[in-house]
Amino acid sequence: MGVEQSPAWQALQLHCDAGVGSQHLASLFQQPNRVDEFSLAFDQLYVDFSKNRITRETLALLMTLARQQGLPQAIEQLTRGEKVNETEDRPALHTALRAQGKDVQGFAADVQPQVAEVLEKMAGLVNKIRCGHWRGYTGKPITDVVNIGVGGSDLGPLMITHSLQTIESPVRLHFISSIDGTQTSNLLRDLNQETTLFILASKSFTTIDTLSNAETAKDWLQECIPDDDAIMSQHFIGVSANQQKMAEWGIPPENQLAFWDWVGGRYSLWSAIGLPIALKIGMQGFRELLSGAHAMDQHFMTTEMEHNIPVVLGLIDIWNINFLDIHDKAILPYDARLRYLPSYLEQLVMESNGKSVTKSGQRVAYKTCPVLWGEVGPNAQHAFYQLLHQGTQAVMSDFIAPTTRDDFDPNLHSEKNESLRLQHELALANCFAQSRVLMLGDEAIPESLKAAFDSPFKHYPGNQPSNTILLDTLSAHTLGMLIAMYEHKTYVEGVIWEINSFDQWGVELGKQIAKETHQAIKDPSRLDGFDESTKTLIQRVVS
Amino acid sequence: MKISVFGCELSGLVTAGSLAHTGNEVLAMPVGNLLKTSDLEQGILPRDEPGLSSLVKNQVAEGRLRFSDDWQAGIAHAGIFMLSMPSWRSDKAEEVVEAIGQTADKDVLVINQSTFPIGTADRFEASIKLAFAQRGLVAKVSVVSMPEFISEGSAISDFSKPDRVVLGSHDQQSTAIIRDLMRPFNHVTDQVKVMSTRAAEYTKYAVNALLATRISLVNELANNAEHFNIDMEEVRQGLGSDNRIGFNYLFPGCGFGGPSFAADVQALVGTLQSKGYDADLLKAVLQNNETQKEVLFRKAWRFFKNDLKGRKFAVWGLSFKPNTATVDNAPSVKTIEALVAQGAQVVAYDPKAAAAFRRYWGERPGVTLVDDMYQALDEADALMVMTEWRRFWSPDYEGMLARMHRPVIFDGRNIYEQSVLKSFGFRYFAVGRGETI
Repeated sequence: MGVEQSPAWQALQLHCDAGVGSQHLASLFQQPNRVDEFSLAFDQLYVDFSKNRITRETLALLMTLARQQGLPQAIEQLTRGEKVNETEDRPALHTALRAQGKDVQGFAADVQPQVAEVLEKMAGLVNKIRCGHWRGYTGKPITDVVNIGVGGSDLGPLMITHSLQTIESPVRLHFISSIDGTQTSNLLRDLNQETTLFILASKSFTTIDTLSNAETAKDWLQECIPDDDAIMSQHFIGVSANQQKMAEWGIPPENQLAFWDWVGGRYSLWSAIGLPIALKIGMQGFRELLSGAHAMDQHFMTTEMEHNIPVVLGLIDIWNINFLDIHDKAILPYDARLRYLPSYLEQLVMESNGKSVTKSGQRVAYKTCPVLWGEVGPNAQHAFYQLLHQGTQAVMSDFIAPTTRDDFDPNLHSEKNESLRLQHELALANCFAQSRVLMLGDEAIPESLKAAFDSPFKHYPGNQPSNTILLDTLSAHTLGMLIAMYEHKTYVEGVIWEINSFDQWGVELGKQIAKETHQAIKDPSRLDGFDESTKTLIQRVVS
Repeated sequence: MKISVFGCELSGLVTAGSLAHTGNEVLAMPVGNLLKTSDLEQGILPRDEPGLSSLVKNQVAEGRLRFSDDWQAGIAHAGIFMLSMPSWRSDKAEEVVEAIGQTADKDVLVINQSTFPIGTADRFEASIKLAFAQRGLVAKVSVVSMPEFISEGSAISDFSKPDRVVLGSHDQQSTAIIRDLMRPFNHVTDQVKVMSTRAAEYTKYAVNALLATRISLVNELANNAEHFNIDMEEVRQGLGSDNRIGFNYLFPGCGFGGPSFAADVQALVGTLQSKGYDADLLKAVLQNNETQKEVLFRKAWRFFKNDLKGRKFAVWGLSFKPNTATVDNAPSVKTIEALVAQGAQVVAYDPKAAAAFRRYWGERPGVTLVDDMYQALDEADALMVMTEWRRFWSPDYEGMLARMHRPVIFDGRNIYEQSVLKSFGFRYFAVGRGETI
């Protein structure tokens, strides 16, 4: 029996059909104290989920569903390090990476010494590079660090370093991911071999995208450096769960940073994959990121479900998707520093839950992961918000913003500070206005403007649900909390849907077929067996 | 004349001693709390400057030079006030100027010798005038700029036999007084160049900027000469003999340092940038110099194939130049930091600057300081010459060979002859000279 036939699910369906599902948000907001009831605050995070089409009873029924699905036990299994990733027969212990020895049990406790050891080794490398004592082959200090990685080995460090861009760093960081080589050749034109260090970040160390970019980087170094040993010892650091492959590629042991198969790629920024982050903000900053995430882990593990932010947000998604039939989710940060958050969450959420087979191998009879996308909110207002306001698509949104900016001195009354402050206020005003109009639609139009909006083209249906997530400020600590919150929320949804959120078999076949296709491009005699369309495409390339 | 000198660092002491020597009654006052007047009176000075201690002692003995902590006494003592402080003590200068404004009761002439931001003299003059006006005091106020051009190691002769005296003064009477004050040092030909106060202030910065640029350019030319197997010493002869260029400040080496030179250029760059003006060339000059300070480290790094762990380096010379005990911004400091960070051991010798280096380095491991230049060489994998003290120019080569583990010399001041060293069996690497690596 699938979860959709379970009593708790059926109860929710009845509740929905009985009228809650068709109520408009504007009418729900007639109820007093709605925000008190439907908001949660923890540490430096405030979450308002009142703009969802829920009632007190909806939440209670969702909690029953969660208990029925064994969510409390599932949380414990995850954080103790049990093998929640059944298809790959391993745990998913990202929480152990940020515990820093505290509050851990089971296998999560067993791995603490090796986690600490790698953090220590990482700290040594980070300090050496940031102090200018890591030298290139001619003896000049490294000024530029290029992270070569893709997916989880790219998006997390890229997103975090971009988010914390106002922190001054002694080295410049660059990211190369795409297999096509454009990023690499563009970047290398502006860099100097003497002062450039590459990080090869790949969990398997077999990722073709990363290794092909790495070979290009090596060729570029060889243009100037005759001694291959010097290239490997001074210009490459490897980060991988596969030490043997790292060694085979030529990375010397002292330049290797390990992580483990129980760290999922999209959950790996907390491991040595976070090296670019530590280079950007220093090791202390990196540890603040870890402790922010650890604070959220503790909240997730110890708070009763009704006040547990990831649980509540996960369950509301379930309500929106499975009962209100909403299958699109927009991530809308109102701070350009969070520009890469949408693409980071695209991977986290869709690679985790974009699945249609339950853990027991049955095809699901219900919708799972929504299509998730996003953009910096103020920019998106000039792009796809038209669809949110007047399209035919129901979309749920997460609005995310820091309430204050800490990158200027509040006591300093310079013009630059004033304009930053003013612009921040404008961004927040837009953030709050958009979620309000999405919720209320025409109801938001003040009396004085009613006449001006009296036209079928100026009609706003509203009723689009959203969450608003406020961070006190954008810092390593709050980012750690925010990302951990999304990780756990994703797991909560996976548990309800009975799917494995930690494997990604969907991306495997394409990699294999690409190899075969590459053979055919190199040797057109191997074209037999391809379909007509692919054959034609290959022929257009070859001829 | 009666003169009060504020500041008892190198510039203040040289000024006070030299002016007392020519007959003036000088009262000198330290600013900040680091110097004791009782020490100063006995010739115990913050800097080990040749001839300065005896000059001070003699003038104290003659009764023309006195020291005091009492600024009020200084303000009462004279109508001529010299501000002779390091550039980073402008906060104290502000206090002195405020005290003059509040308590002076007659005409004042303030002569600023310190390297403070452009416009300081004008600002100080306005400040004292305002204070006088508020007190209802009718007296003449003149603040002039007379930047010092003394160098550590030759400070007394730089003051007493100046190439020229740059005087920024808007006031003829002040100019006349200062001409008279400087007459004993300006006897042979009139070397006083009178200009606006701002021009004088800017001249000081501009001189340092030009010299720094010249040194960095020569260094860049030398580094590149190596790539073509050219001996930069030969090129230097060719360059210097061109009248348009001349031989001064033409020696390539491992970078310039010291407490004020680079800091002044840095201050100028900071000022220009904060106002949005161009400073591209000067920024490059400073960056180039920081890189040059590690030139010997880079040679050693390549010589030992990117692995210096456990290597032992002898270092001759720690001070930023000979005849001084100062290590501020010295190339030796940066080089030793770099060596130790790679796991190398350093044994260093300097005739005067060991104590200053010890203060800088603290209790950290990796560096041993010795009192004998040859002792530093025991079991060394290489010698690095960072400062061209005279005693390093003609050492006992055979004795060196006997002590060193490897006969390798990295010469940051180009003081040796490659052919001679080669005949003794040394490997020799210098700046734009010696073997290419």
